[in-house]
Amino acid sequence: MPDQAILVRTFVDLADNLVDDFDVVDLLSLLADRSVAALDVAAAGVMLAAPSGALQVVASSSDAMRTLELFELQADEGPCVDAYRSGEPVVNIDLAAAAARWPSFAPRAVRGGFASVHSLPMRHRKRTLGAVNLLRSEATPLADDDVHAAQALADIATIAIVQHQLAIDARILNDQLAAALNSRVVIEQAKGKIAQSAHLDMDQAFQSLRAHARNHNLRLAELAGRIADGTIDPRSIASPRPAGGASRPS
Amino acid sequence: MAAERLARILALLAADDRPSGRRLCEVAAEATAMSGAGIALLTAGGAQASLGATDSVSSLIEDLQYTLGEGPCIDAQRLGTVIAEPNLAATSRWTAFSERALAGGAEAVFGFPIRLGAVALGALDLYRDQPGPLTDDQHADALVMADVAARFILSAQADAPPGDLDIDIATDTHLWGVVHQAAGMVSVQLDIPVADALVRIRAHAFGADRRITEIARDIVERRLSLDDDS
Repeated sequence: MPDQAILVRTFVDLADNLVDDFDVVDLLSLLADRSVAALDVAAAGVMLAAPSGALQVVASSSDAMRTLELFELQADEGPCVDAYRSGEPVVNIDLAAAAARWPSFAPRAVRGGFASVHSLPMRHRKRTLGAVNLLRSEATPLADDDVHAAQALADIATIAIVQHQLAIDARILNDQLAAALNSRVVIEQAKGKIAQSAHLDMDQAFQSLRAHARNHNLRLAELAGRIADGTIDPRSIASPRPAGGASRPS
Repeated sequence: MAAERLARILALLAADDRPSGRRLCEVAAEATAMSGAGIALLTAGGAQASLGATDSVSSLIEDLQYTLGEGPCIDAQRLGTVIAEPNLAATSRWTAFSERALAGGAEAVFGFPIRLGAVALGALDLYRDQPGPLTDDQHADALVMADVAARFILSAQADAPPGDLDIDIATDTHLWGVVHQAAGMVSVQLDIPVADALVRIRAHAFGADRRITEIARDIVERRLSLDDDS
């Protein structure tokens, strides 16, 4: 039976990660450690897929576990690899009888003192982000309650990671929005400075600004920013030319 | 409950694949049964823009907040929390803003932060031509609406060309461009930084009790010079 008190606290801690400062490695280390504390398992580890699709060890409850997981990746066979690729749980595998399935991984895990293994996919909609490995010292089956609790932990961690990715996108998009708004503001300010310096109207000032940016291979917003903040003298810009400028003398 | 509110608001927006900023405001006012609504974009860099407003009073509220640097959206964004001023006539908050918003016809104003997680985009302002608090339902609807607005704004910006605004946002957004043009001119006239020129223009609008865009237009069309300002 899972330890209910630890489980509940873990759910709350994982959910907290949705709102507070978020670190994927911290979150998954918490998941690994609490899995060992709350469930009837000896070691736990989490692998996540990199954008390339290759799995990486992100968190382990012990050094021995980390070494075994690194070995699993190197051999490209084992419970996490299967759970990640199939998107289905791999449960209650007796390692002593698994040499045919995992010829490298199974003997290595037995030598490490483990008797059975379980791996749960971290799934969101149709995507599998990674998998959680749980190893036991006994070959007896893990109770259904433990399996369900482990999957629930993995699911919450998955949601936290997906939400975090959305938040990263939101930040980038908001930064782009802010930069674009600021660009438009400084362009208007630069137009005003040029208009005043060279006695032009706003349209002529904008034509001058554009022509100068084009001729000097500068981005319009960058040039405007330097005029607005005073690093470029607006008087050096103004060279009114007729709108259109298709017949630019060269 | 939250899912039901969201469904209702999305149903109001459903007719438009890409609702305009003004449409977002109209739906906000409709969903919350308020007199009007506006959306202010407020960037960390200090740029301020209005994505839309339902009517002349909401547009005045946006303009006043821009001119005076105070009001429900500014506080909602700055404090990251909902701002409620159910009786403008009785408040000591935002003295300059309140007096002018009241004269314009707003008796109660509310500001809701528009944010996604820690990402703050601006604020939704709601006003009513009668004093009185928001009901719990109106409050909850406004929160959902602010969330919907955040997602619409960011998903629109996701389609923007590099370095620029999304075309729909650019079309809807009022940036007080003429005020920035005027600030550029005043900065050259008085040989002061643009930011200081902006402060001078704001102060002049406040002192003359005129809309900041009118002052700016007078400057740009060379009918007004701030040289002789005290």
